[in-house]
Amino acid sequence: MTIGGTIYVVDDDPDVRDSLQILLEFSGFDVKTFDSALKFLATDIRQLNGCLVADIRMPDMDGLQLQDEIVRRNIGLPVIVITGHGDIPLAVRAMRAGAIDFLEKPFREEALLESIRRGLEHRKDHRSDPSGDIAARMATLTEREREVLKLVVDGNTSKEIARTLDISPRTVDIHRGHVMEKMQAAKLADLIRMAISMRALLER
Amino acid sequence: MRESRSGIAKFAGEDALFLALINTAIDGIMVIDEQAILQVYSPACERLFGYKPDEVLGRNVDMLMPEPYHSQHDAYLERYKSTGVPHIIGIGREVVGRRKDGSTFPMYLSVGEGTLNKHRIFVGIVSDISETRARDKHIRELQGELLHVTRMTAMGEMTSALAHELNQPLTAMLNYTSAARHMAGSFGEPGVKLLDVLNRAIDQAERAGLIIRRLRNFIEKREPNRAPEDINKAVEDAVELGMAGHRDTGVKLHLNLQRPLRTALVDKVQIQQILVNLIRNAVEAMSKSDKRDLTIATRQSGDEIEIAISDTGTGLPEEIVSRLFHPFVTTKEHGMGMGLSICRTIAEAHGGKLSLDSNTKKGATFVLRLRTPPDAEVDA
Repeated sequence: MTIGGTIYVVDDDPDVRDSLQILLEFSGFDVKTFDSALKFLATDIRQLNGCLVADIRMPDMDGLQLQDEIVRRNIGLPVIVITGHGDIPLAVRAMRAGAIDFLEKPFREEALLESIRRGLEHRKDHRSDPSGDIAARMATLTEREREVLKLVVDGNTSKEIARTLDISPRTVDIHRGHVMEKMQAAKLADLIRMAISMRALLER
Repeated sequence: MRESRSGIAKFAGEDALFLALINTAIDGIMVIDEQAILQVYSPACERLFGYKPDEVLGRNVDMLMPEPYHSQHDAYLERYKSTGVPHIIGIGREVVGRRKDGSTFPMYLSVGEGTLNKHRIFVGIVSDISETRARDKHIRELQGELLHVTRMTAMGEMTSALAHELNQPLTAMLNYTSAARHMAGSFGEPGVKLLDVLNRAIDQAERAGLIIRRLRNFIEKREPNRAPEDINKAVEDAVELGMAGHRDTGVKLHLNLQRPLRTALVDKVQIQQILVNLIRNAVEAMSKSDKRDLTIATRQSGDEIEIAISDTGTGLPEEIVSRLFHPFVTTKEHGMGMGLSICRTIAEAHGGKLSLDSNTKKGATFVLRLRTPPDAEVDA
């Protein structure tokens, strides 16, 4: 699959960096790698066009701070954060701060390319307004499902949600499943993206 | 009156000082003859055993012992008299006493031997050590719990670190293999077979990733045991534990606990683990100081409880302060450097904070901040 464009990879692990470069070049991208967020920010980023893939856990400046900085500097670069398994709440925060997707390590090429495609089409997405559609889906949620969704989007784990709502983690997972289904979300990141765009509805 | 009731007069004659001594001694004093018959039974013994003097004087001392000592005491005495080898006489040890109501209690018994009016007598001095024992037991229990939590936390930390470390090479492996798949396409017929093999390699790398995820979920499954806790009580227990074995180090302890404090929703043992670590560190930090003041203060500050632990040591070296809470950072010769890292992990898991609030050449202050919901009950 060839999409084209420049992918900026920021990861402090040299092997992850190198392997991503090789893989993405095979897929037809220009790839530029950086071993720290600060080094990336030191480049002339006003000219940047493409997509940023950043590890969430890095010394000096982590992926979340990098995302914040990109928003602060008004750089219109879509950000995909990659996480270890323990960092989902962090990834959710990154998405709320504007990251368009997150990937859990280790990930398949297909998932990576799908995220990148989404990132590159981000601006087009921006023009169309899908909220009406999402609102209709959200209207089908029960009160409890709505609560669960809100807590998921706030970055809580199933266990934490269970504690907050005083129900079993197993029940939370069932609610989560229903929410994913009703919202037509294939993965957690989809759900979070939709919910963030519908935040106002959720907090009614 | 009492002295005759205690059977003392018969032994002491009219010696007022001796009488005063027997009657005022906090520890129980009793005297038996060669046949183990009680001759003297001091007022303290009455308090310990619950028998009045006239219920025991003239009877065998074994009535104050539970089985099996009760039945064997005469034999013990006989053995000593025939062999001359002492087992308790002149030494003293912990034994078990039996009260009038049949209950038993741990006591320390020292026995001396003497002669009075050409008769051999044995003098026993007993003190109730139930409180010491209960305290020791309490400390042992706390230590046991703490050790368990420390192990679990360390295991969780290591699993989590391991999972992260393994995910990096796995990610690179998957990427490289996926890249190789692209190349396989240009190899014609053999390339088809290669593609198949590479896909299998990718499946296996994914499987490894799944195992790591499960392992991590398993470790995270252990529910912290959180309940509304009295933080002052947790501090007091932690002090007891943290100072155990450090009582003789000349450290002066100052507890400034604010009361009332709100309760905090915490896993008490985990919070104590943090406090014990900080207390031990503080005591160690003062080992070479002339002034050794350990101050522990609690206070409510808005919706947070602050627990401050201050020492009068020499402070922490500047170069270590920025990395203080990272794993494997230590100032100790034999330290692993996991203590503060684990402490901070626990604090953060509770939605709290652990920080070094002051650090000078004259001492350091660590502060643990715990959230208290505004509607938490006030602990009187």
